[in-house]
Amino acid sequence: MRPDVVAWERAAEVREAAEGWRRAGAIDTSTYDAIVNAYPDPCVTPSAVWRVLTAVMVTAIVLCTLGALALATKPEATAFSLLLLALGAAALIVTERLEASPRWARRGAAGATAFWGGVFVLGGLALFLSEDRRIPWERTLQIVLFASALIWAASCWRWGSPVFAGLSAVSLFLVLGRLPFGRVLWVLIGASLVGLVARLPDKPGGAPSHRCSAMVLLVAGVAAVYGSLNVYSLDAYLLERFQKYTPSHPVLPSWRFVLGAIATAALPPLILLWAWTSRRVVLLDTSVVLLALSLVTLRHYVHLAPLWVVLTASGALLIVLALAVERALRHSPGGERSGFTADALFSDERRQRIFQTVPVVAAFTPAAAPAAATEEKGFAGRGGTFGGGGASDRF
Amino acid sequence: MNPDVVAAIGRLRADTVLSGPQAAFFDRVARRDLVSIRLEIRLLLYVGVLLLTSGVGVLVVEHQHEIGPLAIAGALGLAAAGCLVWVARHALPFSWRAVESPNVAFDYVLLLGLLLFASDLGYVEAQFTMLGPRWPHHLLIVGVIYLLAAYRWDSRVVLGLALTTLAAWRGVSLSVMPGPLAPHGTDDLRANAIVIGLIYVALATLSVRLERKAHFEEVFGNTGLLLVLGALVSFVLESSGWGVWLGALVFIAVLVMWTSFALGRSLYFAEAVVAAYVGLLRLLFAGEASSLAFLVAALLGAGALALIFAAHRRMVER
Repeated sequence: MRPDVVAWERAAEVREAAEGWRRAGAIDTSTYDAIVNAYPDPCVTPSAVWRVLTAVMVTAIVLCTLGALALATKPEATAFSLLLLALGAAALIVTERLEASPRWARRGAAGATAFWGGVFVLGGLALFLSEDRRIPWERTLQIVLFASALIWAASCWRWGSPVFAGLSAVSLFLVLGRLPFGRVLWVLIGASLVGLVARLPDKPGGAPSHRCSAMVLLVAGVAAVYGSLNVYSLDAYLLERFQKYTPSHPVLPSWRFVLGAIATAALPPLILLWAWTSRRVVLLDTSVVLLALSLVTLRHYVHLAPLWVVLTASGALLIVLALAVERALRHSPGGERSGFTADALFSDERRQRIFQTVPVVAAFTPAAAPAAATEEKGFAGRGGTFGGGGASDRF
Repeated sequence: MNPDVVAAIGRLRADTVLSGPQAAFFDRVARRDLVSIRLEIRLLLYVGVLLLTSGVGVLVVEHQHEIGPLAIAGALGLAAAGCLVWVARHALPFSWRAVESPNVAFDYVLLLGLLLFASDLGYVEAQFTMLGPRWPHHLLIVGVIYLLAAYRWDSRVVLGLALTTLAAWRGVSLSVMPGPLAPHGTDDLRANAIVIGLIYVALATLSVRLERKAHFEEVFGNTGLLLVLGALVSFVLESSGWGVWLGALVFIAVLVMWTSFALGRSLYFAEAVVAAYVGLLRLLFAGEASSLAFLVAALLGAGALALIFAAHRRMVER
């Protein structure tokens, strides 16, 4: 990343923290102004709505430009691949220009041009290799995935977007999954990635966006190790399905099954322990997701109880657990225990509450009533999916 | 740890911008010696409610004949009542202004109680056919109950659910299920969506003007605009006489953009820009897609981008 961009990001980090302190009433306006003056940030930083809107419109412009050029020139496959490569290169150059300007760097436009630049280059490469060079599709895919890992990694290194770090990690693990011994490579590379990036988020030298990208890579590494060792993934040969020629899979040897079962049971608590001791919320969230996946895996192999019992009991358990944690933290001295608190601290509660409306409404809104409400009844989802209760089957 | 903020706190303390206690507390948070898990607790509660209501749904579907309708209806009613009694006992007194939740679980217990109530009502209606052929009216009852609960217990989440449930009663789906705003919806349903959307926008205006739960304005306004603009876009894309609808869409979109300035609402502005752009694409691609159409669409996008930048520069967001 350019040194001036890193400096802007650092200033923005401090200003954002100060904004949180002010919102929580921990500092007054004059202190906030003093902090803002001490850490000037020349960048224009619109809110998320403006950034998404800008990215959407830039996407429309880029895609329409491609459409116009493609229809005007009506190119053959090779020429079209060159057009894609040229347009991709142009988009990447525009990104570099935008990122260098404090007026444009954080408006959402640079992110969109960088993304489409990468997509066009990869699309052009795929088309060139398969149509012009006549390289078999399987090999082309392997090359493109490898190029994808490199391009997104370079984009992340240069422009610092955590999204690109995630795309790079996904591409890398897809490449590895298609190699012989892909599962072993997932474990080895995943564990190496975790070891490599685990300390980066706390390192003073790095750019803030690189630290955020390191967290994404950390989660990707943990997910890769878990995905390769999960007993269902082993039993169903999930990763081996990425490979070109999938041999017929024998029944999983019992020792591998047992090892997989142990790993499935042990990994989530280990990650939870790590999260607890390091107090990294991202790892805490990851461990909870992995724990849920392990319980689903357990349910797949061991039918402890009927589905409704499992759903109801786990739902009730989660609610009780959440309430117990909140109560325990609330009644601890200073409202904290082992460095954790249920207070909002300096996060934006108002924004969180607005965002929580969307998933609730999406999940629990009943299906619309039919236009002519004279249909045969049964307790049907049409009159409301279980009255909005979350299920969608008929009674 | 956030090393940049840690370093800044040290500097600000040295410059006496921050007091000692302030710097010590901020430093603990920046070093991750103190971490908030409030969002995680909320997520657990949300997933818990989702799983619990799904489990109840599966139970009723799979075992209704063994358990019997009265037992099911009674059990659901009791569970709903239990949740709502807990909510009533813990709630703060009613106010037309924003009321803080007494604790983090409050919103979710309220949600669970209302969902169980809705399930119970739907089940009772299905089993005992009290409304007969007008059975979708149970959605009206559920929607009104949600609305009352949202006002009494000051819940934006429940208000959002009330608005989408009332829209569902009129056949308009804002859920991920296919609905009239998806392709192939009928003109009647689109018209319904416009009328409901306009009512919601009017309620958003009234809530601010009368200072009655003024903070509900965003939920009313965004839901209403989604319905109105979505239905108009749907008319433009699907209807044979789309020219008139395009005119209406552009007029409404410009009106919304203009109004969003006065209100300082960027989301309203964004919804209007996207709707107008999609509508105008219909004009460009009415015939066969040509390179000129794509070029004009790209230029139109550039124009929209210029508008967005100008608007952002001038709008005072609230």
